[in-house]
Amino acid sequence: MDSSRRNFLKGTAGIGTLAALEINLGANAADIINNGGDKSVFSFCEMCSSRCPIEAKIVDGKCKFIQGNKHYSTTGTSVCARGGAGVNQLYDKQRIVKPLIRVGERGSGKWRKASWEEALKYCADKLGEIAKTHGPESVVFTAKSSESHKQMTNFACSLGSPNIFSHWSCCPITYQVAFPHTFGGSLSRDYSKAKYIVNFGHNLFEGIDIKYTKKLAKTAAKEDTKLLVLEPRFSVVAAKADEWLPVKPGTDLAFVMALIHVWIRDSKYDKKFVEEYTIGIDEVKKAVKDTTPKWQEKITGIKSTDVERIADEIYKAAPKVIIDWGHKTTTTRAEYQRTRAIFIANALMGNIEKEGGLYFGKKAKTFNDLVGEELFPTLNDPNKAFKVPKTPRIDGAGEKGSKNYFIARKHGVLMDIAPAILNEKPYPVKAWVNTRFNHLINVVGEETTIKAIKKLDFILSVDIYMNDFTQFADVVLPESTYLERDESIQDKSGSLPAYYMRQKAIEPIGDTKNGYDIFRELARIMKIDQNYTWNTIDEFRMQQAKGNDKLLAALIKDGYVEWKVPKLYYREKKYVSKFVEKFPHASTFVDENGEMSSKVKFKTPSGKIELFSQQVEEALPGEGCIHPANMDVYDGHELCLMSGKTPIHTNGHTQNVKVLNDMMSESPIWINPRTAQKRGLKTGDRVLVENKFAKSYAKVMVTEGIREDSLFVYHGFGHISSGLKRTYGVGLNQSKLLNPAYGAVCSTMVTNVGVDIKKA
Amino acid sequence: MKKYVMIHDENLCIGCQACSVACRNENDTSDGVYRLQVHAEMKGVFPNLKTNFLRHSCVMCENAPCVEVCPTKASFQTDEGIVLLDESICVSCKYCVLACPYDARYVDPITKNIGKCTFCFTNRVAGGEQPACVTVCPTDALTFGDANDYNSEVSKVIATNSIKYPKSELGTKPKLGFVENKKGGRYE
Ligand code: SF4
Ligand code: SF4
Ligand code: SF4
Repeated sequence: MDSSRRNFLKGTAGIGTLAALEINLGANAADIINNGGDKSVFSFCEMCSSRCPIEAKIVDGKCKFIQGNKHYSTTGTSVCARGGAGVNQLYDKQRIVKPLIRVGERGSGKWRKASWEEALKYCADKLGEIAKTHGPESVVFTAKSSESHKQMTNFACSLGSPNIFSHWSCCPITYQVAFPHTFGGSLSRDYSKAKYIVNFGHNLFEGIDIKYTKKLAKTAAKEDTKLLVLEPRFSVVAAKADEWLPVKPGTDLAFVMALIHVWIRDSKYDKKFVEEYTIGIDEVKKAVKDTTPKWQEKITGIKSTDVERIADEIYKAAPKVIIDWGHKTTTTRAEYQRTRAIFIANALMGNIEKEGGLYFGKKAKTFNDLVGEELFPTLNDPNKAFKVPKTPRIDGAGEKGSKNYFIARKHGVLMDIAPAILNEKPYPVKAWVNTRFNHLINVVGEETTIKAIKKLDFILSVDIYMNDFTQFADVVLPESTYLERDESIQDKSGSLPAYYMRQKAIEPIGDTKNGYDIFRELARIMKIDQNYTWNTIDEFRMQQAKGNDKLLAALIKDGYVEWKVPKLYYREKKYVSKFVEKFPHASTFVDENGEMSSKVKFKTPSGKIELFSQQVEEALPGEGCIHPANMDVYDGHELCLMSGKTPIHTNGHTQNVKVLNDMMSESPIWINPRTAQKRGLKTGDRVLVENKFAKSYAKVMVTEGIREDSLFVYHGFGHISSGLKRTYGVGLNQSKLLNPAYGAVCSTMVTNVGVDIKKA
Repeated sequence: MKKYVMIHDENLCIGCQACSVACRNENDTSDGVYRLQVHAEMKGVFPNLKTNFLRHSCVMCENAPCVEVCPTKASFQTDEGIVLLDESICVSCKYCVLACPYDARYVDPITKNIGKCTFCFTNRVAGGEQPACVTVCPTDALTFGDANDYNSEVSKVIATNSIKYPKSELGTKPKLGFVENKKGGRYE
């Protein structure tokens, strides 16, 4: 026996003495020595869109381990399963690492490798020719939201196409639209100090965003706080709740309107706040006149006595309450009014700019104004030279008279792309450029999309895997993963001014390039790069930082920088006085009550919180105030199929990552035992799921954790690309079965749908 | 002497498997076996339900049956009480695998060596770092440290919670303890 080794293992010998033992040690021990010589790169994650700060540990030029960035105190070293699996994605042999040009039929999966020079020239020629013949608007652009979306947008604007899309319309679009309508901007949730949280299936414990997940988990675990969860399924957030109400799918709106009814009926809301900061309470009073707890009972399945009790509990806990609007807000066509009702409920509780309630994020500029000097560096935006062309879009987003009037022209309505291609309305679409978005898994109507795709003259996809959409491309440009890319500086301010930056942890593997270089190069070749004021990402960053090399150096070193200033809620005396103590200039903003009420401003047309919105009412009559319509998600069927997130996968993106695939390789449909019994189904059975839109097969998992009238499936399975070897053909893609009709005002894609199910 | 202890708070655990992925990458665990898993267990009848997230790994017994049965003394305990395995003298007789009442040991399908959780002792803890699972846990459900140091985080967790040690009736005296889950669907 090697006694020196035994001695080491018995005591806690210092790392330094280990080098001599190297030859005799096993694999793990060899790692210690390497770990001793670690290099770390601080960056942020891209395994999902939450963008948590990370530390990538490099050993011998290889990225070995990923954990959270300790410099960001909110998350510390925490990272989720997907975030940790970034390493496994990076070194996956199934990644695309060479530009590919299609040789077989479109979608056949037959490619030849090409040089970057050839592939880019090919794309430039094709896009140039199409733009010349059919106009630049005949090229549509899709991306997941991220920096790739920005780079793609710059390129689309340079080419002259207004048809730019992000994933918004199939995920967060409702609050993205309802926020400006109600508050003029978005608000953050102070989960850590809240006493009462009402959660409508905002499943932060499965759809993870570490900064929120950590806070919510700790608040939920406390004895003196209450987490109330409304969800048809016993999800993880429901499992951590103090009270779970298995609400009927799609009906949250009725519950919230009943709460509002009770508060108004009993005059139990923050009248002073409502008077001072809101308009439209009279319209709300009218709207909820009949939405009693009894009325909602039949709709939601929640007892009226529970609604009465809960309304009282919330009012008593106010203003330390959060009525949470969630993230993926796509459950019914009533989603816009549901989200508006939730916002109104918050406003009635007077929780805005209050500890334990809601607050406006505050950036460097806000703090500079408060302290009266440029203490905190602000950034330039080199992207602002790029303007979305004013020409009509295929979905009419942002255009007066269009049903998509309220949709941002950089984000659009994804569900309108395929029909526009097929009908050639309002004009023919000839090409599709995509970066890292899997339209076929994420957007309603797989078959229609494939039909549309086949009609196009040219498809370019920038990707890291041979994903489903990418499989149908004519040219595939391999992007470097986030661990191999440098990107721009991002504002990370919340309650403190902060910045962070994605940095390359290792040199790109194979022949891959980052989005900056790909789109910059394409623009250069096509000679449409007059608005690009940078050649490299370093130049871009320097412009952003306005030459502030100290800021850049700090970001390169730590990946994240923040300035410790006292937290500030404008309507909390205690916070205001602490702030003024540190920054005396700020006293000019303090009113006689010791608050900073002059700073509580809302960028709505009226300058107040709009409980009723005149602009919405004018554009879409009947939608200016909340109303309880369009909650049905059954469409005559006995069952409603819902979908949601798992902490192990990100939408349609990670099913092929080995370590994650090993942990969760399929996604069976959840079904209640009584519902299953009626249909003679047991766990593991194959079933046919169908409605008038499509049919699809799936596997069954019988569980008590779901209502008898509901089915649930984790989103992201059912891949049809043979290039995803580990997950190809496994599971159900519920997007196939969805109803293409979407919600009013915010045009959200509805991810709940009525189906029938039978043994296959 | 230090006494390394880990506490898994089941109230904070959300079963996200970040710990499992971190463990696999940190320790290059072979496919098909694991040092650590977190199992989700749903109980009850709709709508009175409860989901518990249970950690499954070596519990670092003070009186370790795996060490007792090892004929070559390859399984041993460090002074801090961490149960490890010396691969150079292990003969893969698998007695320890059978002796472990916690089903925590496995035979590596590639190297044929015996594997299990080591609290990341050699590769992390000895160098002053936390075990990989503890480092990444998104909800800080895991606490690790020296229970003999009254100021350590882990001592505070032990002092303020009632800790359950699995199969305590066997007298193995685990150093991985649990704060039991209290939450469940209280819908009447
Ligand atoms: S939640 Fe997980 S996958 Fe998403 S950014 Fe954070 S660490 Fe990465
Ligand atoms: S990482 Fe933490 S929360 Fe996630 S499963 Fe492991 S112990 Fe539980
Ligand atoms: S849990 Fe099993 S492997 Fe771990 S120390 Fe105890 S007996 Fe040994």
